[in-house]
Amino acid sequence: MTSAQAIDKLERDGHGAYVESYDPDAQRMTLNMGPVHPATHGVLRLLLELDGETVTKCEPIIGYLHTGMEKECEDQNWRQAVTIVTRMDYLAQFSNELVYSRAVDRLLDIDVPPRGRYIRVLMSELNRLSSHLVWYGTQGLDMGAMSALFYGFREREVIQDFNEMVTGLRMNNGYIIPGGVWEDLPDGWEPAVESILALMSRRIEEYEELLTFNPVFLERTRGVGVISKEVALALGASGPIARASGIDLDLRRDAPYEVYDKLTFDVPTLTEGDVYARYQVRMIEMRESLKILRQVVDGMPGGDYKNMDPKLTPPPRSELNRSMEAVIHHFKLMTQGYTVPEGEVYEAVESPRGELGCYTVSSGGTAPHRVHVRDPSFANLQLLPPAAIGGLVADLIAVIASLDPIMGGVDR
Amino acid sequence: MRSGWTMAGNWRERARTLKDEGWWLVSYCGLDALGLRGGSRFEAVAQFRHATEGHRCIHVVAEGDPPTIPSIAAIWPTANWMEREAYDMFGIVFEGHPALTRILMPDEWEGWPLRKDYGVGKVTVEFVPQPFLQIDAPGQASETDGAGREVDRLGQSGAPERHWGTAPGAADTAHEGSR
Repeated sequence: MTSAQAIDKLERDGHGAYVESYDPDAQRMTLNMGPVHPATHGVLRLLLELDGETVTKCEPIIGYLHTGMEKECEDQNWRQAVTIVTRMDYLAQFSNELVYSRAVDRLLDIDVPPRGRYIRVLMSELNRLSSHLVWYGTQGLDMGAMSALFYGFREREVIQDFNEMVTGLRMNNGYIIPGGVWEDLPDGWEPAVESILALMSRRIEEYEELLTFNPVFLERTRGVGVISKEVALALGASGPIARASGIDLDLRRDAPYEVYDKLTFDVPTLTEGDVYARYQVRMIEMRESLKILRQVVDGMPGGDYKNMDPKLTPPPRSELNRSMEAVIHHFKLMTQGYTVPEGEVYEAVESPRGELGCYTVSSGGTAPHRVHVRDPSFANLQLLPPAAIGGLVADLIAVIASLDPIMGGVDR
Repeated sequence: MRSGWTMAGNWRERARTLKDEGWWLVSYCGLDALGLRGGSRFEAVAQFRHATEGHRCIHVVAEGDPPTIPSIAAIWPTANWMEREAYDMFGIVFEGHPALTRILMPDEWEGWPLRKDYGVGKVTVEFVPQPFLQIDAPGQASETDGAGREVDRLGQSGAPERHWGTAPGAADTAHEGSR
């Protein structure tokens, strides 16, 4: 059966999972799971071969959310492309904006003022918290702990409210731009972050109470979906998944960007490589993010929040009434945007899911020649077959949740 | 950024050496260099990271038609999907890849979307000649200029050519079904 026929069948049946074929001699069943299935976290489709309840083959089929964003970037100017990349990994939107903006910063060879750098780190660390909260909720939900979902989303909402307060939007913000950030932090941002910090340090305790020593949860996650260090290295794992398998790698510490070299934090590394280890790594990371946020709030400098070069940033509104030059700059920036010198660059940041890279090529024009985003989910999803094969179907659900793939990033 | 170039013929050997030296592959993508510089058009760009030596980038120049590059999926299994993506988007054939099929686009898709000669959103739309309908708004009287000639809404004088019923040249029965 070709995939086109399979999709037809899927639409006909209207099921999330159905039996594709059954071989009575070998007692092997081919089961189709997804692309519309609550446990596959988006539009991931899996072709499974089962021996009873045991997974003997697993083939992820992706591309259901492909919307040609890399192509789309080539059709926008450098500033506008931010609004495209932010939609890729939609739970880690600030990381996407950050890596793209850093790539363009490097091509332009410009400096970002210290306040801009701190704001970038503030937003991406809060983003890490909110992304891990979604993971926490869905991991719990898939393990049968439905209340975890409600708790995770409840606190995520607080962070989304802060995003809205700063950028005007809850998701797809387009806030971090080449040269800094689009707007300065609004009045009252500090008490807002303080309240998030106070709330989260308390709530993480509650999350741990709910799941960490829960016997059902332990049963479902310990020793399940083990990824060895060798497999993780060979398949290019990064982020919490690599760190749970004993690979001590965190770009925030190993290739520091923005202001991470001034901040102190620990990088949790475990060696078990199972679902529970990945759970623990992410829980510790959330606490580390709180530590980082505390330092960022305390160390937030004053001054400009973006590079004020008139060739890059539109003049303030008040200037437009009295300066002809400002009007010209404004007009040029709004109609064609700025040009970026010819060159190529690869930038990488540590997104909540791992190494998020952006390879950008400029041909010297006002639009990118090529923007390729190396999404961590795309590479990490390749770990699903080795982690799932040999386990039960129920374990497969746990493994998918622990890999935390975001299909918007996988398919782009 | 440390950038290197290698021809497709030497790539596999070079990749093995890099692996022995402790570099690991983080990103591997296609590139259409049309309009970027002279010489080759299709390349695959590999990004490597090293525990102590940092980061480097290697361009692999594809040869032949279709553009061909030897696969390194056997050296770095993570390249498996990345090569499939580059094939899907640019039509670069990775020789020796275990299963080189489309990964993001549908299997039966034609064309290579990220090539520079592939349009953005320019999907060909079948053109059906529509009946030409000119509707006068109620109360819209035809205006005349000083010389008594009719003036249309753009202020251009001279009697406009009027077509009633069908567009010029279209058969009367062109779109009868929908009327």
